[in-house]
Amino acid sequence: MKRSLLIPLGFLAPALTLILVFMVLPLVVSFYLSLTNFNVAALLDYSLADFIGLANYQRLLRDELFWQAFWNTGYFVLIGVPSALVLSLLLAILLNQARLFGKNFFKVGYYLPSITTTVAIAVVWRWVLNPRYGILNWLLGIVGIAGPNWFGDPEWAMPAIILLVVWKGLGYNMVIFLAGLQNIPGHLYEAAQLDGAGRVKQLIYITIPLLRPTSFFVSVMTMIGYLQLFAEPYMLTDGGPLNATLSIVLYMYRHGFKFFNLGYASALAYVLFAIIFIVTLLQMKFRDKEIQY
Amino acid sequence: MKNLLGVILILGILLSFSLVTLAAEEITVWAMGAEAQKIGEMVASFEEKYPDIGVTVQAIPWSNAHDKLITAIAGGTGPDVAQLGTTWMAEFAPIGVFAELSRYLEHSTLISREQFFSGSYATNVVDGHLFGIPWYVDTRVLFYRTDLVAEIGYHHPPKNWEQLREIAGQLAQKGEYGLALSTNNYQEFLPFVWQNGGRIFDQNGKIAVTEPAFVEALEFYVQLFKDGVAPLDAQGTDLFQEFAAGRMPMYFSGPWMINLTREQVPEIDGKWSVALMPEKKTRTSFIGGCNLVIFNSSKQKEAAWKFVEFMGEAKNQLTWYKISGSLPTNRHTWEEPYFDDLAMVKVFGRQLEDAKAPLNIPQWAQIEYLLQQRLQEACYGKKSPLEAMEALAQDIEGIM
Repeated sequence: MKRSLLIPLGFLAPALTLILVFMVLPLVVSFYLSLTNFNVAALLDYSLADFIGLANYQRLLRDELFWQAFWNTGYFVLIGVPSALVLSLLLAILLNQARLFGKNFFKVGYYLPSITTTVAIAVVWRWVLNPRYGILNWLLGIVGIAGPNWFGDPEWAMPAIILLVVWKGLGYNMVIFLAGLQNIPGHLYEAAQLDGAGRVKQLIYITIPLLRPTSFFVSVMTMIGYLQLFAEPYMLTDGGPLNATLSIVLYMYRHGFKFFNLGYASALAYVLFAIIFIVTLLQMKFRDKEIQY
Repeated sequence: MKNLLGVILILGILLSFSLVTLAAEEITVWAMGAEAQKIGEMVASFEEKYPDIGVTVQAIPWSNAHDKLITAIAGGTGPDVAQLGTTWMAEFAPIGVFAELSRYLEHSTLISREQFFSGSYATNVVDGHLFGIPWYVDTRVLFYRTDLVAEIGYHHPPKNWEQLREIAGQLAQKGEYGLALSTNNYQEFLPFVWQNGGRIFDQNGKIAVTEPAFVEALEFYVQLFKDGVAPLDAQGTDLFQEFAAGRMPMYFSGPWMINLTREQVPEIDGKWSVALMPEKKTRTSFIGGCNLVIFNSSKQKEAAWKFVEFMGEAKNQLTWYKISGSLPTNRHTWEEPYFDDLAMVKVFGRQLEDAKAPLNIPQWAQIEYLLQQRLQEACYGKKSPLEAMEALAQDIEGIM
């Protein structure tokens, strides 16, 4: 009995060791850190970090900037995730048409942003959205709309970030939706057509229900990714103007690696973990039953 | 016999090698960013002067310099000498990673405290101890379009706050804006506070941001935005193009902008110049730059000091200026005839006599963020200047 357990463990040992050292251990240590007032002085002398219990978490609840970051991230997720889902689904349906000119060209075109580094994208978008010389406001101007001062206006900075992030992630979700669409048997559509169902009805009664596993996967992954918004505001606005684009992760980064309040930053990380955990749990709970025809 | 000779010969060769390695001390220097590429020439002339000291330069990109320092401190693997931004001194010095240098400076025959600009020297002092020697400095002055200012009847740059407001207002009426100001850069805002006699902490260490001198400076600053004289989004623009087009004909910035402006918009050569900060009670500007520090963990502090001392010497500061364009922190260097032909650079030299650094306290990094945040709220009109500073006072209270 013992031997039969030892052999698989032996094979698993390299992987288990890596997971323990690089995943589990940091998790445990950072949780402990979140209960201390570890700061830059403690880096040199660990004994300077005191155990302060839940004080970091209590301070968080009273921290005006944390709440600002919390609501900003919520705003970003609530608008961003549905937009990303709907747009990428529409794109996937369009590109799934049997006869479409330049199909592969569009597939590549929409997928490219997903594999481009955010830094390069941010540099380009900074100019696209520039209120004075940007191409977007120039185009808006042609049709008679005075474009907003995107990253300079607290009202428009977050919409601009949403625009950029949704656009960047479109291709990846689209590819997953495409795969899902191709799994729907063609005879279902044929049967529906015979019954007199139009395009819209086919979409509502066949495509969307049968895509549920795919949509679930896409929405969970997008939600988790979006809750960790960081690179775009870091590159483009540094959380401004007036903290309108300060996300939870950006705020955590600021405390962790700018002020070296590692204790407080760890507490922030654990709160974010709790938020993601709860949101994902809710998504699992309210997930619709899968439908089979 | 032959064998013995051979052995002696080999021993002799070995011995001479080891003597060479014994005599030569090796010091490691961390240089950041562009400095790392340019420092080679200085190192060569240092090694010529001190043949028994070898210098190894390690290039650290600015983007991960802070992380590198933290890691080195945590792991005890620091270099002998490092270049450090002036605003980082207070963060690292109190935890005892840098060697105290006042003893070395007192005994130095090559450099002395009085040679350095007081604002620059002050950035090296934390809690009354000297932890570094100034290497190079930068400061901000007023860049302005001489032709446009002349068009509205002024043949000199704005000399005081009143004239700044007046000239900027008139320029804004003629063009688009009068000057470019930042809504969230403390380096542009704090000089106004200092010029008005304001400060963040008073002499007893009490938070003084709600004192009239401080709030007045903020009111003046905010009014420029309210009147439409300064744009709220100057940072999202291409300042060179705006400057050249006359849409933002004035701004405050550092020495690096002289060459950049010449390169980027050569068409306005001769139509712009630089001037000292406008006066209120003083004409104080912001001082930044870099210092050289010696790590406490260094085993060759004497050799390290020789290097730091060498870089601070007046004549080497001139060489360094010629190589890198970094402004000398040694006042004697500025007296060199070399600078007589560099009228714009000389303005910076004069401004450096009245330039200040922010506080050297470990909490500065956080205060800087808090200040910029409240400054922005005031500029955007979310809070009145007084409200913003009352909120700032509370913020600072919270972290002290």
